[in-house]
Amino acid sequence: MEGIIAIWQRDIIKFFRDRARMIGSFSMPILFLVVFGVGMGGSMESLVAAGVGPEEDFNYVEFIFPGIVSMTLLMTSVFSSLSVIQDRDFGYMREILVSPVSRVNIAIGKMLGSASVAFIQGVMMFVLMPFLGITIDFVSFLQVLPVMFMIACAFSSLGLFVASLLNSMQGFQLVVNILVMPMVFLSGALFPLNNMPGWVDFLVTLNPVTYGVDLMKHIMIDVENLSAMVQEEMGLNLTFFGQPVTMMGEIIFLLGFTTLLILLATLSFRRAND
Amino acid sequence: MVRANTYVDRMGLYIKIVLGLKRSEPGLIDVQNLKKSYKSFQAVNNSNFHVKEGEIFGFLGPNGAGKSTTINILSTMLKPTSGEVTINGYDVTKHRNRVRESIGIIFQENTLDEKLTAKENLMLHCKFYGVPRLKRKARINEVLEIVDLKDSVNSLVEKFSGGMQRRLEIARGLLHYPKVLFLDEPSVGLDPQTRAHIWEYILRLKEKENITMFLTTHYLDEAEISDRVAIMDHGDIIAIDKPKKLKQQLGGDIIEMTTTDNEAAIQEIKANFDVVDVSLKDDVIYCKVENSDAFVSNFIKTLQTPLTGLDIRKPTLNDVFLSFTGREIRD
Ligand SMILES: Nc1ncnc2c1ncn2[C@@H]1O[C@H](COP(=O)(O)OP(=O)(O)OP(=O)(O)O)[C@@H](O)[C@H]1O
Ligand SMILES: [Mg+2]
Repeated sequence: MEGIIAIWQRDIIKFFRDRARMIGSFSMPILFLVVFGVGMGGSMESLVAAGVGPEEDFNYVEFIFPGIVSMTLLMTSVFSSLSVIQDRDFGYMREILVSPVSRVNIAIGKMLGSASVAFIQGVMMFVLMPFLGITIDFVSFLQVLPVMFMIACAFSSLGLFVASLLNSMQGFQLVVNILVMPMVFLSGALFPLNNMPGWVDFLVTLNPVTYGVDLMKHIMIDVENLSAMVQEEMGLNLTFFGQPVTMMGEIIFLLGFTTLLILLATLSFRRAND
Repeated sequence: MVRANTYVDRMGLYIKIVLGLKRSEPGLIDVQNLKKSYKSFQAVNNSNFHVKEGEIFGFLGPNGAGKSTTINILSTMLKPTSGEVTINGYDVTKHRNRVRESIGIIFQENTLDEKLTAKENLMLHCKFYGVPRLKRKARINEVLEIVDLKDSVNSLVEKFSGGMQRRLEIARGLLHYPKVLFLDEPSVGLDPQTRAHIWEYILRLKEKENITMFLTTHYLDEAEISDRVAIMDHGDIIAIDKPKKLKQQLGGDIIEMTTTDNEAAIQEIKANFDVVDVSLKDDVIYCKVENSDAFVSNFIKTLQTPLTGLDIRKPTLNDVFLSFTGREIRD
């Protein structure tokens, strides 16, 4: 138990010590907010208005904000988890591996460390809300926090598993290109994914980001007051191989995903000694 | 499953008891028929040795001899290909966590977190090893005192010199009061003065804590401080004994001298003195004698041929290595 805390604590201390990284990791989400929110917002809104009628109270920035926060969670989680590669190269991993801390606790501690860092970054994104002209009520805010942490755990365990497959930091850019960006684009975080070809639909269904984003949208956007038309247009009615997706189902999916990948990462820590 | 395992463990125990009756000294470290191969390459061939409690055991060998491989197996970081290794009575492949609790290790490469302070590094270590919360502060002070780093507790490790970092690693290795401390080339990459300091700390530690130490080095003078030395070459242990004994095996000390008439001097030495061997090379006479201390005072008084120079050389471990392998240790 203490081992988990120690490994987690190390990541937290280092995060608060590295201000440059903290600020640097905001650049990408803000860029996306500007490009997608402001740039595409107008045309998206008029598209929706054309389909549904101009009286609808629909704000595209409100729609993509949860997506951008999820993206921040994903990127920060994965990058923080990849620090185990650095630990391997700079030797600290041996200090951890030669200690009596159990391998599963090493994986959990590392996952919680990355998830916490990502969670803090994600929460900091909410500071931008007034500048974007969107609001969130206090109850929704309290509800979205644990969900964000859960999402961060899922993404961190994914990052940890990927890190266990990579031999060096050179794989870093590769991971961003072949994993992180496609996961963002194939999740409905930035634009609705309606009427996609079957194989894209398949990827979207298996993508954990899809459910993270959807959960956050359902908490943060007043979905009930949107017309059925807008809900459909904005991809808020997800299905899982034909079944309608419920929020509980999404939570189970994310928790299951996290558990599975933690176990896989544990196996790789165990293998490290052979 | 559980039952079957218990049964197997029991059988193992009985076998060990029976074998134990024959074995004279069960050590804190017991290595039997240890082999390690990387694919087809044999890094360690059939090693056997025992280390007693409180002993400093040195592993001496040139680059690539298999020292780190051995130390990594003993510390559970690497699986042996075959053989049996126990530390403090626990098997390194079956009871890894028990072994891990029993040992401290200073790896050949730096394993500190340089972005953290000395204190943070030590505090994390306490947590990894479950040092009781209330004892942590006192222990950290205690180990920092041993390595003289008390003034730098709150500095970032990246600001430390190489020698300070090494000392901090030694301090960290001691925090959980291990039964055995492994040191893989603790002074490698340091200047001679810092090296000497590191050894001072290690010896101080030995005096204070009576801790068992297993160290590797390819510096001969460093191996001299060990109670016993194993000499390793190409994965084979070619000799194990007290450094003094190993040197005695070579048959004595060497006296090098120059005289005004070397031929006459050699005649005289052969006729009048008790020497193991005498030879002439490049105008220098080499005399091998059993005990130079007893020999020299009488020798200088009675030798007729005038001496122009005299030098007494005790054999070094390099001479030992040379006599076993026919090579200098630092090729
Ligand atoms: N992971 C590995 N895969 C293949 N060969 C290896 C591996 N690790 C070590 N070796 C080889 O095994 C041999 C023994 O290496 P080892 O590191 O144990 O030597 P050493 O005595 O510690 O040397 P040094 O003084 O350089 O530290 C070397 O020839 C080395 O190249
Ligand atoms: Mg080595």
